[in-house]
Amino acid sequence: MHAFIQGLILGLLTAGVYALMASGQTLIFGIMNVINLAQGAMVILSAYISYQLFKSFGIDPFLAIPIVTVGMFVIGVAVQLLFLRPLKREDRAELSLLVTFAIALLIEGIMSITWKTNYRSINTSYANSSWTVFGYQITLVRLWACVLSLVALGLLYVLLNKTRFGRAVRATVQNPESARLLGVESDRVAALGFGLGSATAAAAGSVYGLLYAFYPGSHYDLISLLLSIVVLGGLGSIGGAMVGAVVVSTSSAIVASTISPAWSAMTFFVILIVVLVVRPRGLFGSTARGAI
Amino acid sequence: MSKALRLSALRGAAFFGLLAALPSFNLAHWVLNMLVFTLMYAAMSSAWNLVGGFTGYPSLGHAAFFGVGAYAVALWFQHHAIHSGYEPFVILPLVGVLAGLIGLPVAAVAMRTRADVFAIVTITLLFVAQTLAFNLHSITHGAQGLSIDPAPFSPATFERPFYYVLVGLLALAMGITYLTIKSKVGLSLASIRADEDKARGIGVRVSGLKLLTFCVSVGLTSMVGGVWAYYEGFVYPQFAFDPLITISIVLMTFLGGRGTLWGPILGAFVLELSQQNLAYRLGGSQFYLIAYALVFLLIMLLLPRGILPTIQDRLRYRRRRAGAAEGDDRPSAPAPRTAAAKVAVGGGERA
Amino acid sequence: MTDLKQLRRSLAVLGGIGVVAVVVAGCASSSGGGSSKSNSKGPLVIGASVSLTGDFSDSGKAVKRGYDLWASTVNANGGVLGRKVQMKIVDDASSTTQVVTNYQNLINKDHVNLTFGPFSTLLTIPASRVAKRYGYAFLAPAGGGPDVFKQNLDNFFFVQPAPTTQSGNVFANWILSLPAADQPKTAAYAELDDPFSAPIAESLRAKFEAAGIRTVYKQVYPAETQDLSPVMAALVAKKPDMIIGGTQSNDAYAQVKSLVQLKYSPKFMYQSNGANDPLNYPDKVGAKNTEGIMSAADWFPGSTAVGSAAFTAAYIKAYGGTAQQVDDSSAEAYSVGQLIEAVAKKTGKIDNATIIKSLHSGTWQTLLGSLSWSANGSPSGEFNLVQWQKSALVPVFPTTIAKATPQHPKPNWGG
Repeated sequence: MHAFIQGLILGLLTAGVYALMASGQTLIFGIMNVINLAQGAMVILSAYISYQLFKSFGIDPFLAIPIVTVGMFVIGVAVQLLFLRPLKREDRAELSLLVTFAIALLIEGIMSITWKTNYRSINTSYANSSWTVFGYQITLVRLWACVLSLVALGLLYVLLNKTRFGRAVRATVQNPESARLLGVESDRVAALGFGLGSATAAAAGSVYGLLYAFYPGSHYDLISLLLSIVVLGGLGSIGGAMVGAVVVSTSSAIVASTISPAWSAMTFFVILIVVLVVRPRGLFGSTARGAI
Repeated sequence: MSKALRLSALRGAAFFGLLAALPSFNLAHWVLNMLVFTLMYAAMSSAWNLVGGFTGYPSLGHAAFFGVGAYAVALWFQHHAIHSGYEPFVILPLVGVLAGLIGLPVAAVAMRTRADVFAIVTITLLFVAQTLAFNLHSITHGAQGLSIDPAPFSPATFERPFYYVLVGLLALAMGITYLTIKSKVGLSLASIRADEDKARGIGVRVSGLKLLTFCVSVGLTSMVGGVWAYYEGFVYPQFAFDPLITISIVLMTFLGGRGTLWGPILGAFVLELSQQNLAYRLGGSQFYLIAYALVFLLIMLLLPRGILPTIQDRLRYRRRRAGAAEGDDRPSAPAPRTAAAKVAVGGGERA
Repeated sequence: MTDLKQLRRSLAVLGGIGVVAVVVAGCASSSGGGSSKSNSKGPLVIGASVSLTGDFSDSGKAVKRGYDLWASTVNANGGVLGRKVQMKIVDDASSTTQVVTNYQNLINKDHVNLTFGPFSTLLTIPASRVAKRYGYAFLAPAGGGPDVFKQNLDNFFFVQPAPTTQSGNVFANWILSLPAADQPKTAAYAELDDPFSAPIAESLRAKFEAAGIRTVYKQVYPAETQDLSPVMAALVAKKPDMIIGGTQSNDAYAQVKSLVQLKYSPKFMYQSNGANDPLNYPDKVGAKNTEGIMSAADWFPGSTAVGSAAFTAAYIKAYGGTAQQVDDSSAEAYSVGQLIEAVAKKTGKIDNATIIKSLHSGTWQTLLGSLSWSANGSPSGEFNLVQWQKSALVPVFPTTIAKATPQHPKPNWGG
């Protein structure tokens, strides 16, 4: 029982970070019908940037988030303009899988040259601090990571629901054709949306670097994890991504601490397959186009 | 025999004649070694094309069946001795049938979903298969892997048996593809790709047909896996069930031109040879990864439909212009009756 | 008319494939003539494929440093039998397919005179088979998992004191040499699921269980596990006296990090690998947290084995740092070169058949002590027990090589 609850706590705390990464991916899909396999690489790239900021200038990774976010937003917009916009609309869905995978490889190559291929970790003074609450261990970094992710997700919610840009995005997600007729510049929304998706990767990446050691190839593990989360929740649904993150993260942490970590990945893959076969559009995906 | 048929026969004969003759040019071992890996990918791309290219189901789980084949061969020879060295090749058909049978329920479940969701279900299956290979210690030995006795072939001609078996598998995959294109099956598959519901409406046996295609495709893939395991002499879960295998196959098919007979083969030759060479020459520096990614991006942006279809479009366009100038009586393309027929015509001509 | 165009089109396709084939074949013939250059004149070219990228790249690069360092040292002294050594090191990206291609290319395309091994058991097996096929001696400084020796290859030599699975035995010998009252009563095992890490911990577990030390927890975790905290939390709940980690590198750091966060410090802690990496370990887990942790090593700073002082000096000169920061993977790789030199000196010849024949008899002095091999290439020595004391890795057991007495119980985290 102790192991079960400890696993549950860990899972819930980690879920916030996963939700943040996944929200960007699901947003990009919602806007452009593009499954972004480079989201994991962007997360790792952000982790490296915040590692460098910490190492060279002593900037705390949590405080570095605004800088990294702006940087990744620009990179995201550039990627969309350079590599995704030229794709023709009719084969964008299929080709984007390959194009974004190539982008992931490109980022991996650049990271390998810049930072070499050995493991890095960001060791702040508080990296190992933790509290014991009723015999359960809660690490400071994880708690902060979770809080911060929730704040970032809150900001994203406000951005999408209370601003003009947000309304344009939501209109595009629901129906790109009529959005265009209503005067939404879909190309601009797509570029900014991709930038926004990358920005969430930036925030998540800075936190990721604090939690785990990483190397340029770490993004491969994130691809399957993120895909599972967004597909489970329903492609294009941010709320779904959050639920998906909680399901994936808690189920794997509980299985890891009570049975064996060897079976933890299996758990959410099985959940995913069952959900998809019963509800091919995921838990919260609508049968028509997605809703945010 | 029609002209077109004679032409394809000629083309096939020339290609396989060349392949069959290559080892007798006394090629160095390292060249044959590279060709062995290239042929593996050519055969697998051709097999994948049946499902991913013609039927329009982008399976990312084919590497799972590659792994099934590799493990089937490795497990069989834990209990049986290798004498002449040809035994693993002899059991290949069995391996193919086994994988096909495993593929049947998998396809029945996975093919209820479509397009992007299908891609994700299948890649998830790949991870499930890898996890099982790691965790079912009593059968697979988990991370310790399984060893196969080395083939007792003479070092001077060591690669040849592998090479010829792979040429055979490639011929089989291409033969099946060719027959599919030329028969009603190809037309039906194209109609599934264009619009599955409509296809069902006009009486295409959608379910049976796509299941059959999937089983044949993964059966072929598993046989390649079996040859690979024997050639490497050792199987480990992370290499037998490797997502990068899937991604390479898909990439090669897209590069050459999906839904065509020759596209996947062209893609495999270009990509696998350049990758092995780039990695050997530039691997020490990380520029290899960047070079590979850039080539990959350029191709996708400039030739989004693949090399062959793009060239053919170009040629057809020129022919049409020339035809207009000369008053050619042959229409450049017959007016397609339905969307399905249009795809089928395209597929047929591209072949 | 149309027919002709169709023919032209098909020729274009065939041509494309043909061109590739011809280019490949062309390369073949252009380098085919080089096969005769392997005689006694000219440089001694040695090929090795090492993981410079991918999962094994940390250790792979340490191996490369060892090879390069040996080559420059031996060249400064006039080479082997008067021939300059030239290392050709290529990258296998930690992939089995590429490792086969690389050794094929090294042997049959570049016609190297000798081959040295890669890093990791996963890559050693396919690579050693390629070498065997062409009669090359295969000296591997890493990758001594049990399956490597099951192949019974006579050209294979594992250049470490003992097969990897037995590297932990020295720790068991030490624990069991303690007075009964000091010995741990309970033990927990956290093992990485790969061909060389989990088997070390399993071998220790068998010994400890036979000696009556109760196993209270055992868990095997997969290689891609990012987060070890669930495992370590469950382990800590059992309050073991002794924690054995069957670790590789990153997971060793993660284990310590979790234990620090969980505020649990066992009386004894042993990690099979990672903890013996003087360069990265203190950096990753925090120098203060290393105190008292044990591991096994074949080479250690300050070793008195043959050539150790020269090796250490050359290493610092070439790569900087201090003696404390020299990775033992580099020493293992360097030892491979020492063996080649020794064979050349003893026999006056340097070809593969001579190397294979010579190494199968007698003992050979290297940085790692004296080495000898049984018929399948498995070495018959023992590792040394090392412990972190005052932020330095020191040999503590067996007493013949010890520079300090082993400290126990392990102090609390943070010193």
